[in-house]
Amino acid sequence: MDNGSIIEHLKEICRTPEPEEKKAFFQGLEERGLTSRRPEVINYGDFLLRQFFYVGKWIWLLAAILLLCIAGICYGNTGNYPFALTSLLAVGILVETGRSFRWKMAELEYTARFSLRSVMLARMFLVGVVETAGLMVVILVVRPWFSYSLIRVFLYMMVPYLSASLSGSVYERKNRSDNGWGSIIICFLSSGFFAAVPYCLSTLYEERFTVIWTVVFILLILSLVVSVHRWICELEEPVWNL
Amino acid sequence: MELIADRITKQYKNKIAVDRMSFTLTKGVTGLLGANGAGKTTLMRLLCGILNPDSGTVSCDGMGVGTEEYRDILGYLPQDFGYYPEFSGKDFLFYMSAVKGLTKKDADRKTKELIELVGLGDSAGKKVRTYSGGMRQRLGIAQALLNDPQILIMDEPTAGLDPQERIRFRKLISGLGREKIVLLSTHIVSDLEHIADRLMIMKDGQLLWQGSRSAGGEDLEAFYISKIGEKR
Repeated sequence: MDNGSIIEHLKEICRTPEPEEKKAFFQGLEERGLTSRRPEVINYGDFLLRQFFYVGKWIWLLAAILLLCIAGICYGNTGNYPFALTSLLAVGILVETGRSFRWKMAELEYTARFSLRSVMLARMFLVGVVETAGLMVVILVVRPWFSYSLIRVFLYMMVPYLSASLSGSVYERKNRSDNGWGSIIICFLSSGFFAAVPYCLSTLYEERFTVIWTVVFILLILSLVVSVHRWICELEEPVWNL
Repeated sequence: MELIADRITKQYKNKIAVDRMSFTLTKGVTGLLGANGAGKTTLMRLLCGILNPDSGTVSCDGMGVGTEEYRDILGYLPQDFGYYPEFSGKDFLFYMSAVKGLTKKDADRKTKELIELVGLGDSAGKKVRTYSGGMRQRLGIAQALLNDPQILIMDEPTAGLDPQERIRFRKLISGLGREKIVLLSTHIVSDLEHIADRLMIMKDGQLLWQGSRSAGGEDLEAFYISKIGEKR
């Protein structure tokens, strides 16, 4: 008997008999809800994608109008003050974070699998990414109208946007408001500050200060990450302690 | 499955909302009775993981209430909840399905199923802002059931329901109580008369009494009043 025949013979001996009533057994499990006590769960990517459609429509509208305004004003004026308008873009991201509380959905969201924290982070991330992408397009469009390099235009646009986002996130963390007026005022103040800088400290826009702008940009990014992290971690007790 | 609260306490400034409460919830309907301000809502928030106790612990089969696994088996109906203004009843359930992690297919199936179950079939496409209080409450009940929860916590679920809706709700809860841990709070004793397996009575943040519904006798209201009147 060769090896092949032995293997076949062993397979024949070891073949598992077809279980009887297998179908009935599984049907019984199904009827008692034991096969899938919990339905299939979506992953974070799907969750993020689905949250995209729940971000307030006016946020996208406001962002589109502001980006068009920035591009339009840059076209007409090659001064440095149009950069200050990017601070206003942060209004959308900050006001969106209070939406769950404004409409009394926070308590429901808090007890869901993707908790309120995930909902807020997802919305901040989505609005932030879309606005930043829009700003990148505007930067590429307006760059030829300025005598600055692309990196400088990028820094002059991003620093006011990040400053307003950071100040607003700190304010919202410490004085959470449902309507977001505090954040709106902060964004306007930030915008006013960056509009005044070209008049008061015009030298800051000279090439030799690009390093300073770069350092400030990096610090703002890091501070924003820390601030949002702390905000999300603290998003618990104070909210419900009425 | 057991939901265990072990000496939980929650204090707001100078008011103790929940005072060293210990109990174990098992499958079946548990009614939480207490006057307004007794601490029922705080207790429910502690059991849902929305609030952290100042001392004591809440756990379910070894799971902490702050975990994703726990929220995965939890259904919660708060006393007062809202909705995003653009939502129809169906949109609301779809949204809640998304945050509860249901796939689109499951969300679609469960939404249809629950809309019919709570009797909102004709108004599912209408904006929630046009709903009556009772319809909103039914919508809230539906969202709590979306993820087939094993633990169902409902804070004043019968508020705003008309007598017919209350009867329908009681039937629904009785059915659910066979398979799940159901805790529902109310200050209306008659809501619990026919559906609760166990009762807990709260006053001023303290658990005055807990035990089987049958221990309450025929006249549950009189039993409740007698317990509330007793000094600890």
